[in-house]
Amino acid sequence: MVAAIRTERLAKSFGRTLALRPLDLEVAEGEVLGFLGPNGAGKTTTIRCLLGLARASAGRAEIFGVDAQAHPGEAHRRVAYVPGEANLWPRLTGEEALHLLSRVQGKLDSAYRDELIGRFQFDPSKRVRAYSKGNRQKVLLIAAFSSRADLLILDEPTTGLDPLMEQAFRETVAEARQRGQTVFLSSHILSEVEALSDRVAIIRAGELAEVGTLAQMRHLSALSVDATFDTTPPDLSKIPGVTAVEVQGNRVRCQVVGSVEPLLGVLAASGVHQLLSREPSLEELFLAHYGSEPAGGSGAPHGG
Amino acid sequence: MGAEVTVDEEHGGRGVSIADRRAALVVFVATAKRAVRSAILWGLLFGGLIAQEALGYERGFPTAESREQMAEAFGGNSALAAVAGEGRQLDTIQGFVAWRVFGLLIIVGAVWGLLAATRLLRGEEDTGRWELFLAGRTNRRHAAVQGIAGLTAGFVVLWVLTAALTAVGGSNGKVGFSLSASLFYAAAATASALIFLAVGALASQLAPTRRQANGLGAAVLGLSLLIRMVADTVEGLGWMRWLSPLGWVENLHPLTGSQPLPLIPIVLLTAALAAMAVIVAGRRDVGAGAFIRPQSVEPNLRWLGGQGVLVVRLERWVALGWILGLGMLAAMFGVVAGVAAEANLAGDVEQAVGRLGGSEGGVAAWIGYEFMYIAALVAFATAGQVSATRGEEADGYLDNLLVRDVARGRWLAGRVAFAAALVALGGLATGLGGWIGLAAAGSGKVGIVAMLQAGWNVMVPALFVLGLGVFLYGLAPRLAVPVLYASVLWSFVIAIVGSTINTNHWFLDTSLLTHLGPVPASDLSWPAIGWMLGAAVIAIFAGLVAFTRRDLASA
Repeated sequence: MVAAIRTERLAKSFGRTLALRPLDLEVAEGEVLGFLGPNGAGKTTTIRCLLGLARASAGRAEIFGVDAQAHPGEAHRRVAYVPGEANLWPRLTGEEALHLLSRVQGKLDSAYRDELIGRFQFDPSKRVRAYSKGNRQKVLLIAAFSSRADLLILDEPTTGLDPLMEQAFRETVAEARQRGQTVFLSSHILSEVEALSDRVAIIRAGELAEVGTLAQMRHLSALSVDATFDTTPPDLSKIPGVTAVEVQGNRVRCQVVGSVEPLLGVLAASGVHQLLSREPSLEELFLAHYGSEPAGGSGAPHGG
Repeated sequence: MGAEVTVDEEHGGRGVSIADRRAALVVFVATAKRAVRSAILWGLLFGGLIAQEALGYERGFPTAESREQMAEAFGGNSALAAVAGEGRQLDTIQGFVAWRVFGLLIIVGAVWGLLAATRLLRGEEDTGRWELFLAGRTNRRHAAVQGIAGLTAGFVVLWVLTAALTAVGGSNGKVGFSLSASLFYAAAATASALIFLAVGALASQLAPTRRQANGLGAAVLGLSLLIRMVADTVEGLGWMRWLSPLGWVENLHPLTGSQPLPLIPIVLLTAALAAMAVIVAGRRDVGAGAFIRPQSVEPNLRWLGGQGVLVVRLERWVALGWILGLGMLAAMFGVVAGVAAEANLAGDVEQAVGRLGGSEGGVAAWIGYEFMYIAALVAFATAGQVSATRGEEADGYLDNLLVRDVARGRWLAGRVAFAAALVALGGLATGLGGWIGLAAAGSGKVGIVAMLQAGWNVMVPALFVLGLGVFLYGLAPRLAVPVLYASVLWSFVIAIVGSTINTNHWFLDTSLLTHLGPVPASDLSWPAIGWMLGAAVIAIFAGLVAFTRRDLASA
């Protein structure tokens, strides 16, 4: 089956600045991929290269098998895009903008558009200049989803939306997924990515740091363990796979990578009173990649 | 890392830092910088035109007889009075210089003032930058005061440059203007700019968008002009000049018995408008107009059927305004051509046209000369379309189209086609308008075919400008608009200089406006038309290719 998105050594530089190092990424049809990275990591550059808005310095980007750099118009026939910044013609009304965008897109499910207008509590009769940032974003979201495009590329799509509208957005993405649409979701909101994505890709300093399902990522990442003892805790730092040991009185916190069996053996023999362990959240995974080093660091692959 | 703050105890006292003061004046500095930049350009143009007329008087009218005949012909003509205002003492250099460019400068100054004010006040609100200012150490009212003060700084520069060049030209032995007369003339020539800076400032507070503020200001300007024209052309209604701000300016009578009295209503009106602007700014919401407008409007889906027609929706009123304006201006030139040609006893227009490659005299020479101005305007209109095209990209609107089924080349080709259509219709309106004007005044010495050729002739440089603009836009989008406007302005200035004095033809050839000859005073120059259009087509093609191969560039 042809991938919805496939990049092969896709790279972009601005003068001497390498914004995107050779990137290999594949998004399967019908998949929701969360695309994570801090500011300046190269998320938007990747998307602009995918859409042909920026010319790749090297490599190839395909959308449903069509070379998106060489034939952007053809590639875009199956794509709907929502940018993070909603720039719309200020003199048009919301309805006029939706009409124009649907005509340019060439596809429209008008019943679904009306449903989305209701769901997002959007008043399309006002001029764009009178809309708040969130309302301008709604215009683009409604236009994108009501096109029923096979691939939705969403770049920080919930910027400016309130929590209720963000819930409506999640509902809409879930519907798109059920219909078999592919969603490429670039976001800073980790809970959103965690809730919606089948897989997550993390980009760092223009380089792909990690790709996989959340389960895979968690398996490869550390498990948090919090143990309370009846007496003085044993030394856990020598146990294979155990790191970041913190001792506070009778309480110990640590991280475990790989098998937990050696740790459990020591704990069972040391009179552990209470034991808590949990998988890392996406936020912890993300911070594990970025928390210890400043953004724009070496860009070397991390973890995994 | 915080900004360094220096406490200036000596000058500010009580812990008010220099940084604080700078922060409090940021609106003034930002507005003044941009107003002054624009004023430098226009001040040089104003002063240059005045000096040029003063220095060229003796050559144009060398004898007392020629001056008397010119005064008789110009002074008694209503059509000329409507365009240029009432002529006084036209048989003297003072009267001639005061009249020849004064009417034009009053109108151009008013338009400059209006557009500068709405751009720097309302335009800043439209883009959201004003909100950033207001989030700093100021409030709505103080920001408006600073904005108006910044505009005033621009006006001062406009006046200083106009006055300096007028004084330099006036100090020439053959001209002999006193310094005070030159300074007063410069004040009179720029007074309308001051008034309409204030009109624009108030309109910026009343209207909810810059476009509507411009419309409001244009209505005031149109009404003022109409009253002034009636007062100057209908016998017995001269008193009506006191009803129009432009009439007050005319009543200053610079160089011909200066009358400072009208400065009182000019200053009072300006101050009142500025004060009202400040008061309204303090009472309304930022981003909104002073009047509550309906929140919802009925959708109008015309011209929204696809990207190809979108340009019509976005630019139709601008284009229509240009086409009608060009047609009306050409008609006015046609109306006055006969009288002007008869009054041109010394043949200075023929000489100017001769320098530009023309051989005909009389009405044809006059039309050929005046259409050089129209050619510059059509070129400016074309540069405006390139600017609007760049604006679609810079503001991010284009992204919405190009991420859909719209090829870059097709989009840009659509914009080019629209600009070319504007040029074509502008040229047609020019030719037809000029012919109608000639026919209405009974100066039918130039036929419709020749006038349509003259209209065609003004199109060609504009199409070359379009080619150059598309090429620059494709290659270097951020530089395209300033470079294009600069090249059109340069071309205009060189054409003016080249028509005034004998110059090296290499120098003259750097202007885009001097290659074709002043039709109908010359034949159409098909070789020049051929290479200019050929170059335009090649440049457009190269620009299209470059545009499809580069990154989109934000502002």
